Amino acid sequence: MADHFSGPRILFDPASDVADVFAFPSPDRPGCLVLVLDVFPAAAPTALFSDAITYRFRVRPVARAAERAAFTVGDTEYGLDFTFAAPGQIPGSDEPVQIGTCTTPSGEQFLFQVGNETPTEAEGLRIFAGPRLDPFFIDLAGVLAADATQKLAFRPGADNVLEGMNVLSIVVEVDPEVVFGLDCGPLLGVVGETVTSGGRPVRLERMGRPEIKNVVLASKSHDPVNSDLEIRDLYNEGDAFAVRPDYAGAYRTRFNANLAFFDRLDGERVWPADDQGTHPLTELLLADFLVVDISQPFSEGSCFEIETALLAGRPHTTCGGRAPNDDIVDTLYTLLVNGVDGPRISDGVDHATRPATHEFPYLVAPNPNPPDLTAVMAALLAPPEPEEEAA
Amino acid sequence: MTGRPLRADQEPVTTDGALALVNLSAQIDGVAAPVRRAGSAAPRAVAQQAVLVDLLTLRGHLLGRIADYEQAAQLSEQMVWNAPDDSAALLARARTRATLHRFAEAMVDLDAAGRAGAGQATLDAERAAILQAVGCHAEAHGLLRSAAPHQTDFTMLSALAVLQAERGETAEAEHVFDEARTVYRGVSPFPLAQLDFRRGVMWLREGDLPTARSWFAVARRRVPGYAPATGHLAEVDLLLGAPETAVARLRPLVETSDDPEYAAHLALALRAAGRHQEAQLWRDRAAERYEELVTRHPEAYADHAADFWLMVGGDVDRGLQLALQTLVMRQTSRSYALVRRAREATEGLARDASGPRHPATSM
Repeated sequence: MADHFSGPRILFDPASDVADVFAFPSPDRPGCLVLVLDVFPAAAPTALFSDAITYRFRVRPVARAAERAAFTVGDTEYGLDFTFAAPGQIPGSDEPVQIGTCTTPSGEQFLFQVGNETPTEAEGLRIFAGPRLDPFFIDLAGVLAADATQKLAFRPGADNVLEGMNVLSIVVEVDPEVVFGLDCGPLLGVVGETVTSGGRPVRLERMGRPEIKNVVLASKSHDPVNSDLEIRDLYNEGDAFAVRPDYAGAYRTRFNANLAFFDRLDGERVWPADDQGTHPLTELLLADFLVVDISQPFSEGSCFEIETALLAGRPHTTCGGRAPNDDIVDTLYTLLVNGVDGPRISDGVDHATRPATHEFPYLVAPNPNPPDLTAVMAALLAPPEPEEEAA
Repeated sequence: MTGRPLRADQEPVTTDGALALVNLSAQIDGVAAPVRRAGSAAPRAVAQQAVLVDLLTLRGHLLGRIADYEQAAQLSEQMVWNAPDDSAALLARARTRATLHRFAEAMVDLDAAGRAGAGQATLDAERAAILQAVGCHAEAHGLLRSAAPHQTDFTMLSALAVLQAERGETAEAEHVFDEARTVYRGVSPFPLAQLDFRRGVMWLREGDLPTARSWFAVARRRVPGYAPATGHLAEVDLLLGAPETAVARLRPLVETSDDPEYAAHLALALRAAGRHQEAQLWRDRAAERYEELVTRHPEAYADHAADFWLMVGGDVDRGLQLALQTLVMRQTSRSYALVRRAREATEGLARDASGPRHPATSM
């Protein structure tokens, strides 16, 4: 799953668990950038944002590096911080009301109410925060089977493991010139984070590209150095724009080993390592941020297009970044297994429970009745079918 | 106060306790679904089920919900049935068995988890908790030391603090409790509330009621719905001669918790406040629930039930019977003390020969 449950530590701190990050040019306000941060995977409708966490978007100008398949990152950073108060009651309502605050790079603050379907508007900003239907989709069983059998195991018509599930979403539409005072571009690097908001700030989770932690980095078994290290918690603490040299070696080793595993899944090698054993994608993916071109119009299916163009040595043609309806599992497996222009791999799941729209806040309303514990427990604890038992 | 007071500017900032409890339930409701969909025996699915087991156990502790413990136990049994050689499933079942004080069976599961590849540090930490619960403090200490390099500082220090508290080494424990608070890096309020609660329990056992009360209050401020902290606050109120305050604390608790301990404490507090008729109602409710639990989970509830019958339950013979049952199951210093207390109560009654020895129907 994109970044859902990405490490043991956040399993007991779900409001800090980043599930997804999206960055794309606004389909209905040309020139604006849409940033989406989903947290609290598989949230029941009662879930709330933590009042002890800063939910943060970090945006930096990036550019194609001159002589290698990588991006250089600018020093200027534009941040948008979202914080939330503990819920309170308003007269005449039994429902708790949670108020959030958006702080812009200039220090201006805008208040909004969680769950309010009418977006909060300010100069250069539109804000929504609250429960939404999870836009991600994946055949998790196929991913797990590939991991276990070391062969591609996707099948047509597979089930989306996140069908009907909700997340807590922060959706903000930004006019970069107004809010960031942006005078560079057009390529921007985008990261979503959760950070402790009291005392010394501690980064709890970070996310740039989808499935880097859960698909690419999670498996320990191919790692020749740290075969017992759950690397994701460590990775989550790091700065996506400036990987600490102390840990870069461990990350590179894990990337090299696991990327080679994916390349082997169809029995053909398309990504030969260099003399040092470095996989051609390692440096690109280790710089773990979405890359979006805000000079391009919105388009779906463009996730990784800027990266693949870079790898192929050609100019990119789309906005890149990542839109909610992008079939990122297909795109990622195609890139890792079949290379830049290889035949497309499908995981058999092509859309979310309900696709995102092209109107703010883009993600659709939450499922009021997500799969509930009673039914799930009943299914889990049911005696096996006779034929299963016999098998 | 024997411990040092807390300074507000040094307090770790954590998620609002009420909000965190809402989110814990929201998480439990949510996590169960991917668990089902990913298939029941795949390693990652087992890992998710293990998380659900731990979340249910956590909520069971925080809200005093035995039903959550039972659900966790049922789920862990099913996990082992589905994946008998999976170390995560065996570890999950070991934990739920330990929660219900089925310590010998929990140890068997830990041995099996070790054979299935569970990490030594994890096994050491789990075994240490069990050995601590059965009073083998020196052995527990040794295992904690070997697990320490592989744990977070907070996990290691809080386990050490609780062990020292159990051993009555209050000065050392205070120091380690402080250290553990200092190194906490998360935003979940639960680990800190649990730590402060255990610090309160240490001072309650030492008889320092004001200090115990202050730590229970700190735990409850962090997580307002924290049932054991609230229950112990009421206990201290009662001991300090404030039965009406205890009654006020316990009233909401008996509505949300299915642990009869709170109904028993409410009966005691009401009796101390002179409200005997109401007390009888809650005493009867606790008696019925204790009998249910002793039948279902004797290892976990026989000692609590014995305590109940020796005090507000008013049937010392039943108390002695359950105390002896506890001693057969666990030969710890606490079990011996319970039997000793039950025998003294029985002998006291025999000497007095001035009242019915069989089920007390009045208080």
